[in-house]
Amino acid sequence: MSTFSRRDILKMGVGAAAGLGFPAIIRAQQKELVILGIWPATGAFSDVGPILDRGMRMALEERDMKIQGRPVKYIVRDSATQAGAATRRVEEAVDGDGAKFVIGPWSSGVALAVSEVAKRKKVFHYFSGGTEDISGARCHRYSFQWAASPYTAAKTVVDNFMKANPKAKRWHLLVADYAFGWSVEKYIKEVGKTHGLEFVGADRHPLGEREFSNYVQKAAANKPDVVAMINFGLDAVSGAREIFNFGLTPKIPLIMCWSSGVEELVQLTPEIRDNIWVGSNFYYTADTPVAKNFVKNYQAKFGNPPGYAPSAAYGMTRMMLAGFDKAKSVEVQDVIRALEGIEVNDLVGRMRVDAKTHQTLRPFFFMRCKPKSAMKHPTDFADIIATGDTPLPAEYAACKDIGGF
Amino acid sequence: MLYALMGLGLSLITGVLNIPNFAHGALFALGAYLLVTTVNVVGNFWLALVLAPVGVALMGLAIEYAGVRRLYAAGHDYQLLFTFGLALIISEGIIVIWGPVGFSHLPPPILRGGLDLGFTFYPKYRLFVMAVAGLLVLATWLFLEKTRYGAIMRAGIENREMVSLLGIDIHWLFTVAFALGAYLAGIAGALTAPIRGINPNMGVDMLGIAFVVVALGGLGNLLGAIAAGLLIGVAQAIVAAYWIEASTAVIFAVMAAVLLVRPQGLFGIR
Amino acid sequence: MKKPAILLLAAVVLLPFVVRPVIASEIWIFAIFGLGLNLLLGYTGLLSFGQSTFFGSAAYVAGWLLNHYGINVFFALGIGVGVGALSAALVGYLCVQRSGLYFIMLTFALNQLFYFIAYQWTSVTGGEDGMHGVPRPALFGIDFKDPLTYYVFISVLFLASLWIMKRVVESPLGRILQAIRENEVRAEAVGYNVPRFKLLAFVIGGAFSGLAGVLYAMLFGIVPLEAIGFVTSGNVVFATLIGGSGSLYGPVIGSFVFIWLSESVSTLWARWPLLLGVAFVIVVLFLRGGVVEAWSRFWAWRESRKWPSSKQIT
Repeated sequence: MSTFSRRDILKMGVGAAAGLGFPAIIRAQQKELVILGIWPATGAFSDVGPILDRGMRMALEERDMKIQGRPVKYIVRDSATQAGAATRRVEEAVDGDGAKFVIGPWSSGVALAVSEVAKRKKVFHYFSGGTEDISGARCHRYSFQWAASPYTAAKTVVDNFMKANPKAKRWHLLVADYAFGWSVEKYIKEVGKTHGLEFVGADRHPLGEREFSNYVQKAAANKPDVVAMINFGLDAVSGAREIFNFGLTPKIPLIMCWSSGVEELVQLTPEIRDNIWVGSNFYYTADTPVAKNFVKNYQAKFGNPPGYAPSAAYGMTRMMLAGFDKAKSVEVQDVIRALEGIEVNDLVGRMRVDAKTHQTLRPFFFMRCKPKSAMKHPTDFADIIATGDTPLPAEYAACKDIGGF
Repeated sequence: MLYALMGLGLSLITGVLNIPNFAHGALFALGAYLLVTTVNVVGNFWLALVLAPVGVALMGLAIEYAGVRRLYAAGHDYQLLFTFGLALIISEGIIVIWGPVGFSHLPPPILRGGLDLGFTFYPKYRLFVMAVAGLLVLATWLFLEKTRYGAIMRAGIENREMVSLLGIDIHWLFTVAFALGAYLAGIAGALTAPIRGINPNMGVDMLGIAFVVVALGGLGNLLGAIAAGLLIGVAQAIVAAYWIEASTAVIFAVMAAVLLVRPQGLFGIR
Repeated sequence: MKKPAILLLAAVVLLPFVVRPVIASEIWIFAIFGLGLNLLLGYTGLLSFGQSTFFGSAAYVAGWLLNHYGINVFFALGIGVGVGALSAALVGYLCVQRSGLYFIMLTFALNQLFYFIAYQWTSVTGGEDGMHGVPRPALFGIDFKDPLTYYVFISVLFLASLWIMKRVVESPLGRILQAIRENEVRAEAVGYNVPRFKLLAFVIGGAFSGLAGVLYAMLFGIVPLEAIGFVTSGNVVFATLIGGSGSLYGPVIGSFVFIWLSESVSTLWARWPLLLGVAFVIVVLFLRGGVVEAWSRFWAWRESRKWPSSKQIT
């Protein structure tokens, strides 16, 4: 045990305090509008962090970093895909940097934590992700959801897949053991009933599962006509890869119900993608003026087309900006009121924000992947074959009272 | 089989050098990444499969020489801190070099597709991996059991002082052991790449499993590590048939259960 | 009052004005956590790599009771300490028979087991999403919702914990634990029931960890899954080693350094864990005693330069 004199401790303390000279004393200038992007730079989803930042930045730069004459200070913090760290950093940004508008994070679990901070600190919050709770059981006046409702997704996927494959009645489901997985599974089964589908199996896998061989073998044993996967990111990629390795695709189709599109598909090869059908909140061949412009600019700047992640960041920021425009104010509550019930033609087409649940009602895309021979360029992964925007029926809505300010 | 391979490599390092190697998972990941790069450079999967783990072994050599060597007398906590720091450096380094996005790598054409085994359809590549891993494990075991060098290594596990008293350069022994352990991790990673894909965090899960295998098999017992690796693989497959969500958790459950009943592991000697 | 105490008091008073109260609170909470670990690591020589078991369990149980039964703060703290101590007793009992690498791995394995339980038991813990809605109830009419008020509460508890730990390590028990660290066989030979003392160290360390866990839950209003994960276990070990496990204040300093680093550097470079790894390597190769040692070496060097004549005497 080392000993040291009291003098040492004294000096140590002073040094520590000086060393901690944290720029926390610097407060945001009164005029500046501080907007926070809480994105994962480390940990799970750290590959998506930088591109989310890109999307948000692009949307803000379209306004020259100015809103209603006020300069915008865009700050980014690392959510680290950990609820604790993200909570801390959002609070720190709100208290220390004066952030009043928060977009992000990426993971649903962390989003719930951030949403709680938004409620507590009374700041604006927009999120895009699979959890129903943001516009459902945990809804409140300060948080908004950009991604389509899992119901919309399920309906779009099932209806349009059945149109193209009317005979594929035996479905096997592979679901991430997570709230959003259960939601989509529930709705697929609901919608499936109307098509007379038979669900020969439904297995749940823990988030972050890497060893899919057992799940795939189980799926194969059920001899389905279709395998539908409800998972995300690396889980989806690993699952798709194994399904191919074990020979299920391309013989039988694989549906990735809630996919990032480009971000996941780029991690596969054309052989693996053969006969994969994809449901996604965005695909870069979307035919709207805003999307075309965004994709063009993004591709010019970064070389490859944007997937769901940067588009969601871009889209959410644009919705927020639309709120600013309509409210003609930069106060949080004014913007929120302006967004409730707003209708715009934006990134994915016609978009509306439901005042009662803060859910953005908008189209969900359904695509079919192309075989290698049909790919015109290395990122020509798929064609959009349909979109759907049926909103969640009122009887399923879990958000009973969005509450006040 | 892969578990046995990883466990064996780690057991070698922890047994001979008596340090907790928290960088083992990162070495595994490095093997996978080097495989892909080597294939892109050389154009041949088989050649890459041979070369990539050598790269990892060289990294292991460097690590041992530059750092680990100085830490034999230090407590486990510092060894842990050191190897963990290395793990961070390697994984973050991987992200810096190869980017954070993962990718897929198909097996060579000859090994694609599967075999209809009657009761199930099994990918050819997985069978290949099982065979190669099995051969490697066998080869390593033969080396350890039948050759003089192997005997020295096993002696080093049992009694380090005696070995150096007998005039054998203990530092050389440690270096080789570390390099060999790293090689095994590297080739496990390279073999896994076409199955599990390649992404920067692929080492993290493997590290946990490797530790479980070593603990289960008994610290210092190389054969035990092999047996434990096989046992865990089998247990996983069995559990998957009945309670599929628990197939990953069963690994830790088995370890905890065995260690509580038999704290020295299944075949442990100390 | 002694100098270290004055200094510490100054730090406690000034910190929330240098960094945000939330971060300052977190630093002291982590310091309490580190103190608990260091009783095992620094004083008894036991590298427990599963401390988050006690931290997380206490956080979950107390969080649950706070949320669903509206218990008051004192009770919550008591529960935290109790659960922490109890879980530590359980884990400790299973682990103290082993030593060396096995001990480390067993603590790690049991930590993973608890993690898995928390992960699966979503109805209670929320699984991956964490346990939300942990309130911060008032005490004696003092409202803790304000970050600064809560900070004062935490810093008081921290100082109390530090004082208690100081008493523990300076007591006969502390000396016995150090004796075990120095030479376990001899301690046994002299007649001490080594496993029982190790277990006691576990329980005390666990109590501290549990306290930290409850305070953490109330600070952020959630108990995230990683609170019981191996990353948290690792973080407290690293922070303590970096601060210097050889002294009472090591964990405190380590907590400062670690949390400050992860906060400020993370905003600068996304790949900051690489720097963290480098920091670990440097500490291990050159600065075993951590920051504490670095500091005392630095000042010793300064001293020797000021008074050249005293060089040969020391």
